[in-house]
Amino acid sequence: MATYATLEDIENCMDNGWTDGLPVIPPYGSLVDEMLAAMGWQAHDVVGEIKSQNIVVRAEKAAATAVMAGCKPEYGLLLRALTDGLLDPLLNLSGVEVTTGGAAALVIVSGPIVEQLGFEHATNALGANCRANATVGRFAQMMRYFCGRGGGVLKSHGTVGHPGRISFCIAEHPQTEWGAYHTQYGLPEEASAITLMSAEGPNSCNNHYGDTGAQVLDTIGDLMCHYGQTAWYYRSGGFVVVIPPDHMALISKDFSREDAVEYIYKNARRSTELLTDVGRIAKDPIEFANVEPGELRSPLKNREQLTFIECGGDGGRFSAVIPRWVGSTHAVCKQII
Amino acid sequence: MAQTSNDGPASPGNNPPAKQLVSCGDVSCELMVDPIPRPTPDPIEVTLKPSVAKVTFLDHQKPNSKVIMGYAQSILRDRGIEVRSEIIVKADASTRMPEAMLQSFSGEGGLVLCGVSD
Repeated sequence: MATYATLEDIENCMDNGWTDGLPVIPPYGSLVDEMLAAMGWQAHDVVGEIKSQNIVVRAEKAAATAVMAGCKPEYGLLLRALTDGLLDPLLNLSGVEVTTGGAAALVIVSGPIVEQLGFEHATNALGANCRANATVGRFAQMMRYFCGRGGGVLKSHGTVGHPGRISFCIAEHPQTEWGAYHTQYGLPEEASAITLMSAEGPNSCNNHYGDTGAQVLDTIGDLMCHYGQTAWYYRSGGFVVVIPPDHMALISKDFSREDAVEYIYKNARRSTELLTDVGRIAKDPIEFANVEPGELRSPLKNREQLTFIECGGDGGRFSAVIPRWVGSTHAVCKQII
Repeated sequence: MAQTSNDGPASPGNNPPAKQLVSCGDVSCELMVDPIPRPTPDPIEVTLKPSVAKVTFLDHQKPNSKVIMGYAQSILRDRGIEVRSEIIVKADASTRMPEAMLQSFSGEGGLVLCGVSD
């Protein structure tokens, strides 16, 4: 039962930096023990390391964070896979936290677990007012914040950041036209999975009057090609394209997922010279950037950097493009077992 | 439940202190679990007085870093400080420094300045 003492504990957590800025559930030992049991870990199990900062992360830290974020113990196995992914060196969690790029840790949930745990995958799918989405997404951002700053030694440097740094979790429709999201990372269709990547905020893509899939893909490709998008130079990140049912009905008539990737890779390009003129490519580019004068430049270094997720509500011809941050270079996909 | 502890910095915002919080509610006191992992030992050792008066630059290939470092080199030289002419380059900013490069820098007697931002 919540008491005034509980409110004092919430303020105590706030006063001591045990917060993401919002009130937290105080991480009482008894609640943390229950969460540890749900995650299948002992308190002192080592669940990850950030070697460059001499940080060892033990299970009790992840379980305490899950309690504080408001997660239910029923999410335990998902949170275990998510913790594995967050602390996978390929995600570069500390880099996500401290970069000037102001990135968040985007969590994508796919497979039967979406319905089993009650994730919202339709209305307002990118910002759902639903406990599962909100608290799982918050857990990921709190882990980024708590584990990514060297125990308080480092400072976050995000220039503008975005609201996803509070919570950013997207669940896919249980039934899809092109197959489950995680199949793009080699997991079987019937699996449940979480996929993690560092990401900027989503850009909304409106096309209400096109009547072909190509027109919708052209609109999406154009959104990936504005001067200000991040990926023109290093091109280490890529994009997640979110396609709700109305746009998907048009696109899937004419395109498979592979066809859509190829179409955007081939057509969504911009003049290298104009990009240089406007200051998006260095005049004396480094070799890593692989700048080819005279060529039309894709914001994608390769086709694998483009993935599609099917979610969102009926009755509106919107899609969305989520640019990935350039510093993680890898997405991390983990099966929930 | 055992807790990692040390004397953390004082500012609660960006430098949350490592300390034990206890809830003393209606019935009994209950420990709260610190969610923040702390480095053991400290992540880096900083020497404020290098043994050699010489500056070496490390470039992470962040935007404009080479230009800024070249400018800094010339200012330091104008002030009579010895500066290694070669700017060491790390492959890209998003990956950890190779162990051999790290070992090489740990043997430097002078000051190493790293470009870490834009």
